[in-house]
Amino acid sequence: MTTASPSTPRSLALLAAAAGLLLTTSGCGGSAAASEDDTFVFATGKDISCLDPHVDGDMPQASIAANYLDSLVSQDSEGAIHPWLATDWSVSDDGLTYTFTVRDDVWFTDGTKLTAEAVKANLDHMVDPDTQSGTAGGYLKPYTSTEVVDDTTAVVTLNRPYAAFLEVLAQPFLGIESPEALKRPRAENCNAPVGSGPYKIVDYVPQSKVSLVRNEDYNSAPPYAKHQGPAHIEKIEWRIVPEDSTRYGLLRAGQVDALDLMPSVHFDEAEADPNVELILQDRPGNPTNLILNTTRAPFDDLNVRKAFLRSAYVDAGINSVYFGTVTRAGGPLSSTTGFYSPDFEHVYDPDPDEAARLLDEAGWTERDDEGYRVKDGKRLTVHFPYTPDWWPTAHQALVTQIQATAKKAGFEVLIENGDGASVSELGNNFEYDLRADYWNTNTADVLRIVFSSEYTESAGFVPNGSGFRNPELDGILNDALATDDPEVRKDLYYQAQQIVSDNALQLPLYNQASQVALRRDRFTSLALEPSLSLPYLYDVTVVDSE
Amino acid sequence: MSTSSLDSLSAAPRTTATVGSAGSVILRRVAGSVFVLWAAVTLTFFVLRLTPGDPVTAILGGAGSSPSPETVAAVRAEYGLDQPVLVQYFSYLGNLVTGDFGVSYIFKVPVVEIIGPQILPTLQLAGLAMVFAWAIALAFTLLTVGRGRVLDGVGRAVEVFSASLPQFWVGIMLAVVFAVILGWFPVAGNDGFKSLVLPALSLAIPLAGFIAQVTRSSFDDALAQPFVLSARARGLSDTAVRITHALRHAILPGLTLSAWAVGSLVSSAVVAEIIFARPGLGRSLVDAIVNRDLPITLAVVFITAAVYILVNLAVDLLYRVVDPRTNPKGSAA
Repeated sequence: MTTASPSTPRSLALLAAAAGLLLTTSGCGGSAAASEDDTFVFATGKDISCLDPHVDGDMPQASIAANYLDSLVSQDSEGAIHPWLATDWSVSDDGLTYTFTVRDDVWFTDGTKLTAEAVKANLDHMVDPDTQSGTAGGYLKPYTSTEVVDDTTAVVTLNRPYAAFLEVLAQPFLGIESPEALKRPRAENCNAPVGSGPYKIVDYVPQSKVSLVRNEDYNSAPPYAKHQGPAHIEKIEWRIVPEDSTRYGLLRAGQVDALDLMPSVHFDEAEADPNVELILQDRPGNPTNLILNTTRAPFDDLNVRKAFLRSAYVDAGINSVYFGTVTRAGGPLSSTTGFYSPDFEHVYDPDPDEAARLLDEAGWTERDDEGYRVKDGKRLTVHFPYTPDWWPTAHQALVTQIQATAKKAGFEVLIENGDGASVSELGNNFEYDLRADYWNTNTADVLRIVFSSEYTESAGFVPNGSGFRNPELDGILNDALATDDPEVRKDLYYQAQQIVSDNALQLPLYNQASQVALRRDRFTSLALEPSLSLPYLYDVTVVDSE
Repeated sequence: MSTSSLDSLSAAPRTTATVGSAGSVILRRVAGSVFVLWAAVTLTFFVLRLTPGDPVTAILGGAGSSPSPETVAAVRAEYGLDQPVLVQYFSYLGNLVTGDFGVSYIFKVPVVEIIGPQILPTLQLAGLAMVFAWAIALAFTLLTVGRGRVLDGVGRAVEVFSASLPQFWVGIMLAVVFAVILGWFPVAGNDGFKSLVLPALSLAIPLAGFIAQVTRSSFDDALAQPFVLSARARGLSDTAVRITHALRHAILPGLTLSAWAVGSLVSSAVVAEIIFARPGLGRSLVDAIVNRDLPITLAVVFITAAVYILVNLAVDLLYRVVDPRTNPKGSAA
């Protein structure tokens, strides 16, 4: 090499120029300004897929739907049903026909008027296979058709008595959308669904944010709202921030006004912070649990199932990884579900002696070198396919702790990590011993979904992961759908909880909960709507700084 | 400090530049590129399709949903999942040739609409991370190489340390210190240059360690060369010698490393994208793999492969600028 021309740093200049090019397009605008009074910034922890909650049906879709969709009926925190878009309804004696009268003065934000036709269009849309509805469509399996009698009267026909019908209608998953908007292709409706709610969607950038503005003509607030008319805050920015510490950091730095999926490690800090208000509420339904597959060994044996439940120190695990930020669940229903009974909370509290006795009785009398129970030369092994990405970090720690305590009783729990598709395929074919589950819904009919024979088979996800088939339980759960007498339903659902508990089908862990944190130095009155405990921004108001 | 002898003068420069005129190189590269893209897409397609598991349940909302059999059948038919794998493969390739990446299973909209807006943020992030990494690495080597054993040792230690830092840890620390405590930068988001600094740094710091390690050893070599001695003899200052004479020699291997690094930054950007809640290809890819969203996965693989190819091509041409020896005609391109 002979020359070293003065232009040596040319390559550096090239690199810098390239970088400059890349950056100019992004501009050098100011940072996300700390929210102004007219914008409320909400950070959500889980990605949203399609915004229309009729499609698929995952919780993030319902969360945002609660803020731009109204429902036909509403539910209070006691579980009772009240009018909303429907002012009145009647049920035929056989429980198969529901006649709804809808309001005559409500318009969707695209200018379409709410009519009985809209009710028909929405229910038909949810059950249409092309909608690809897992949740709303699933809840409407008894739905046959809707007849439009006049502008405000719709008659819905079911193919079986379904007393939970009104309850599920109150969920945002079954929110009522503009029938005109539903006629658009699915891709279009996914990006910009149209409702009659307090806000309307103006922009959606997947994996980034949803922008909403106030519906200035809003006149259909539900009974649980604290005011009527338009919402107080003009704009909502619904930002998607999956990383826990970042989401919490944004709140601390004042760059967002509220967040959901409050990370448990920051709870103490948030509670001590005078600027932060924690809003916590358990969700109704079947609590977070490990369901035991009764269709194959070793959990086909009731004693082994009971021994497993007795071996698990769930309270200790919850306290150490969730720091007491979730409430322990013991029975098949979460405490916020209608017809819940507290009698089943402590049936299977940890008891190593009892676990040992039950295993002896079941014939798992010996132990091998590693301390696992053995019967006929076979180790007491429990296969547990698991998708870590689908669960909070604390849940992953909790199942590991359960694995450790079960080992003391002699169970070898194999946590077999896999991606979602592989694990759900095993889950749908009963090729597992343990499956991690929960089911959020606002009705005790969840017992039928999670434990009845009819849900041991499904073309998609199989909800009854225990594979339990019990004609007596099936009968009770169907009877509970055939009556709208609360006393009778209460009695039937008590019997159902008893049977589920007696058969040790699940290891309940903790109640699903909405955990929301709000900057109370700026805003107040962030509520959780009652049907699924989802964040509800309609009543949020600015705190006067004076 | 290395004291390599004269024979490194006659040795070929340490680059991976392709031999031949620029025109023929580009032509050969294009043919090779098409093959690489095809191979990447094909391999990904079959790996994903032949792993056990059914994407339909993931498509329909996963656990906690209970679709009707008609709905499941409709989904299978819509995405062609009821067809034999080979038929699915050829129809995918056929669509790809016409620029159609298909429809996302999860978002239900054409893949281009999902991926399109993610490309620029990721390229910006990777680009700025690259600039930061080079700036840090160069500043560091210029300051510490050949400054005596102590400084040299410290330099090496810092390089190894930063190269072994996990990006997610760097990211969280940067966010906590500079965004939450000091409030100099936004904690997260995608609003202009300011929000890009911390994510880019979190990727750049570990990378700078790698680049500095490579650059240091060739800088060492360069400083021992006779031309450096002659430059010094001509009375040039140490700084001038370092910048105008040794540097050009020293950055070649780093440039090779950069070609690899840009490609890997595009995929490792996911760490910064998740921590700083930025949209981007990496995050799309991870989400798509977990949810078995095949069309999005394939599209991101395709784009990443394309970025690798383009960057390698660019570096190949850049060699000719930095080091004319790699050009057979002997002239700077």
